[in-house]
Amino acid sequence: MTVLDRVETPERSSVEERATDALLTCIARFGLSKTALDDVADVAACSRATLYRYFDTKAELVRRTVDGELDRLTARAVDAARGERTLGDAVVALVTTAARDLVGHRALQFLLAHEPESILGYLAFGAGDRLLVRVGDAFSPALTRWLPADDASRAGDWLSRILRSYVLMPEPSIDLTDTTEARGFLEELVIPGLEHPVSNTQ
Amino acid sequence: MSDTPRERVLAGAFECIARAGIAKTTVEDIARASGVSRATVYRLFPRGRDELLRDTVAWEMARFFAELAVAVGSMPDFETFLERALPLAREELLGHAVLQKVLETEPDRLMPLITVEQHHVIEYLAAFFLPLLERDRAAGLVRGTVDLPRAAEYVARMALSLIASPGRHDLGDPDDLRRLVRSELLGGVLA
Repeated sequence: MTVLDRVETPERSSVEERATDALLTCIARFGLSKTALDDVADVAACSRATLYRYFDTKAELVRRTVDGELDRLTARAVDAARGERTLGDAVVALVTTAARDLVGHRALQFLLAHEPESILGYLAFGAGDRLLVRVGDAFSPALTRWLPADDASRAGDWLSRILRSYVLMPEPSIDLTDTTEARGFLEELVIPGLEHPVSNTQ
Repeated sequence: MSDTPRERVLAGAFECIARAGIAKTTVEDIARASGVSRATVYRLFPRGRDELLRDTVAWEMARFFAELAVAVGSMPDFETFLERALPLAREELLGHAVLQKVLETEPDRLMPLITVEQHHVIEYLAAFFLPLLERDRAAGLVRGTVDLPRAAEYVARMALSLIASPGRHDLGDPDDLRRLVRSELLGGVLA
């Protein structure tokens, strides 16, 4: 029994992981409103009873999936900036990586195109406030080599706003997945203000 | 009233949304509220109710910012303009009774409309900002190399972002506001 007890935790995380992956697969195929927990169980190849033990409702599964995807995508963007030698290069790496992940995210793109009401509740107005604080803080470790912690969070917030406006909203005018285009835009308009902010007392 | 029929219908539609919300507003209601026939509504908005609702949201957003521009008045430079306009816009947005009510009661219907229509607002704001930036350039306040149309659009997008979701920022705090305007918004623009 002790051996089985010890595998409890990895097993739990693997069911959760399979369920959230399966939810994303279902959304990319059918959308959110047409996906039921039973469909998720089928795709995840786990029993309904097992799935229902971890997620009481579809809303709960959606919430944990959004949480997990936010953590995963921000970590990938921060990781991409890790080897860079200047603040400007780190900003370009972070923004282009996040932009490519968002544009290539099939579940997210399906929702934006076909069921915007399901996703805008996480992105706009009051929910946007919480999202920007969270993503800004998650981005900040990529920038603390060059900026004090407060400035890094502030810069992270600003970069998450840029991604929200130029990548997630309709009719983007600049393609931030394109490194050359992104670099030109970021170096001209964004990085100077992050690199040399006016101090608050000026 | 000197309004065009189109504007009368948009104002009528806005009035209906304010009273009954988006879901319950029909083309008949809008025709009645604007004092025109249903046929006239369909002639002006051939694609029907959805088009009319989208155009109403765009019309109200444009009106919101036009009134804001009047309230801010003329300022010596773009930087001062933004420092005055951003907190005022946030205040007006929070005080916009119809927006706040519909955001509360029908967010799923309203948010897609606002999101789809916001590129009109971005264009509108960018077109309003561009001459202010050109005036600053003539006064030697702007870096010579900056692409002004792109900068105007950038400031329009980010100003909209700050007004709708200030997040960690407090637009009512003069220090935070000054830094947002001079660093994040105009750090790459100002000479």
